[in-house]
Amino acid sequence: MISAGTFHVITTELTIGMFALSGVAFLLCALQKGPESRESVAHWALLGGLISTPFAIISGVNAVQGDGIDNPILANKLLLSMISAGLAVGILLRRMWGSEVDIRHSSVGMISVALMLTTAGMGGEYSRGETLLLFIPKDTVMLFPIWASIALLVIGIAIVGKSTIQHRS
Amino acid sequence: MRFKVAFVLLLMILSTTISTANPGGKGDAVRSRDCAGSCHASSSSNGISDAELDIQYPDQVYAGLLMEIQTSVSFAEVSSNNMAGLTLLVNTDGAKDLPAIDGWEVVTDPNGGTNNYVEVVDSFSSESMVMQSWTLRAPSNPGNYELYLAIQHGTPEGGIAMTGISAPKQVTVSEVPENLPRLSADWEPVNTRGLGEETVITLETENTDSATVEIKIGGEISTVPIVDDKFTIPAAVNPGVVEWRVILEGEGPTQTSPWFRITAQEAGWEIDEFALYMQGFALFLFSLGIVVLQRPSNGNSKESKYDNTQEVASQFGQIQSQPTQAIETNSRGPPLPVGGLPAGWTMEQWEYYGHEYVNENGGGVQ
Repeated sequence: MISAGTFHVITTELTIGMFALSGVAFLLCALQKGPESRESVAHWALLGGLISTPFAIISGVNAVQGDGIDNPILANKLLLSMISAGLAVGILLRRMWGSEVDIRHSSVGMISVALMLTTAGMGGEYSRGETLLLFIPKDTVMLFPIWASIALLVIGIAIVGKSTIQHRS
Repeated sequence: MRFKVAFVLLLMILSTTISTANPGGKGDAVRSRDCAGSCHASSSSNGISDAELDIQYPDQVYAGLLMEIQTSVSFAEVSSNNMAGLTLLVNTDGAKDLPAIDGWEVVTDPNGGTNNYVEVVDSFSSESMVMQSWTLRAPSNPGNYELYLAIQHGTPEGGIAMTGISAPKQVTVSEVPENLPRLSADWEPVNTRGLGEETVITLETENTDSATVEIKIGGEISTVPIVDDKFTIPAAVNPGVVEWRVILEGEGPTQTSPWFRITAQEAGWEIDEFALYMQGFALFLFSLGIVVLQRPSNGNSKESKYDNTQEVASQFGQIQSQPTQAIETNSRGPPLPVGGLPAGWTMEQWEYYGHEYVNENGGGVQ
């Protein structure tokens, strides 16, 4: 039987590989260098990474010892991965709506990839105690009060709804 | 440009460090020897540890009763974090080697848990010996048993994972005398507690007329009164370990329990998970919204060698600008009027009903 830890390694490497490929392709898009297929590669790899992310999260939750989120690194991983996923979904939506892959679009894609790679790096520190991300304060969790989260949620829903309506019109 | 990219890649490769697997440890757990080793490195790449490993048993071990063993590690040269992984096993097979296979139960490991694999940070060196205490419950069937102590650690130079295992350490588990004063078979000690809280422990004994509890704090041993089979261990101000044991007297030979350890530790890190998940979801939507807030812009797209839009558009323009005659030849209806299709007509309508229009408007094209 494959343990959750082993399955987590498979799913995370799939996720990170896809995101890393996407990041390189977005970099080429930003530089306007490389093959014409860079735009397709960037977005399809980003989509693949997004699809495999839930599997990495679920296997990670099962693999971790203890109950719930009992470490600030885990909390920061959750927040960073959610921001990264939000940016990635936004990028894919913009692309689907026919946006040009300009420097701004590519930069947001790279930021999304960087956040996801940072999340993975923090997982390495959590499980092995080693990291190259020495300068990131991973032990500090910026937790908003509930009302602030709700406000952010409402703003997010309003923006997404408005943009969707504008696009349809 | 290529040279710069190659240089950056080379710099990244050269900046990596060669490291053994799991240098920060994998955490205490119930693990067989195979899994307690380096899961991220080939076992064939491990070195053999020079550490001398030993297990010391008490003089008398009774079936099903609690006992304390001492494990010692000597001459272990570990990595700079002074960490070594110690595993208590029943054979050297690498599988089906957990103490529970032979009926042993780890009641308290050196770190205050109940695992057979623990990671210990201590003053390991080629000149020192590190002792650790384990509280075990002996197998319920009398007989001869073997335990092994295995070790995994890094090296001062890094680069290779060291592993080693002791020779078999035999112990004879005897049948419990009928009148032996003892703790009940189903009694379990408390291993951990929080800071600032007293610990009340209830003793459950058999064949016991009187009991005395001794507490060892900072090397000093003091006696604690027992009231209604309960005694209280004072609250701890700082993280640390308090040891206690009970001396049981009855008709049978007086029995002294192993030293039980209660580890006082700070409360674990906690967070309001609802607020965290709410914030995570809010950040997801907000970051998504920020990206899609800017409507797609198509006005100034760069030229692509696969983008034939302009060519197609120019061809379409040429077709539109061709004289009416060209259209007439391809059309099945009458020739189009000079001004094009009449208002409200489609080309398909013109093909089928155009001649009626021409007849009604004077038989010619205007």
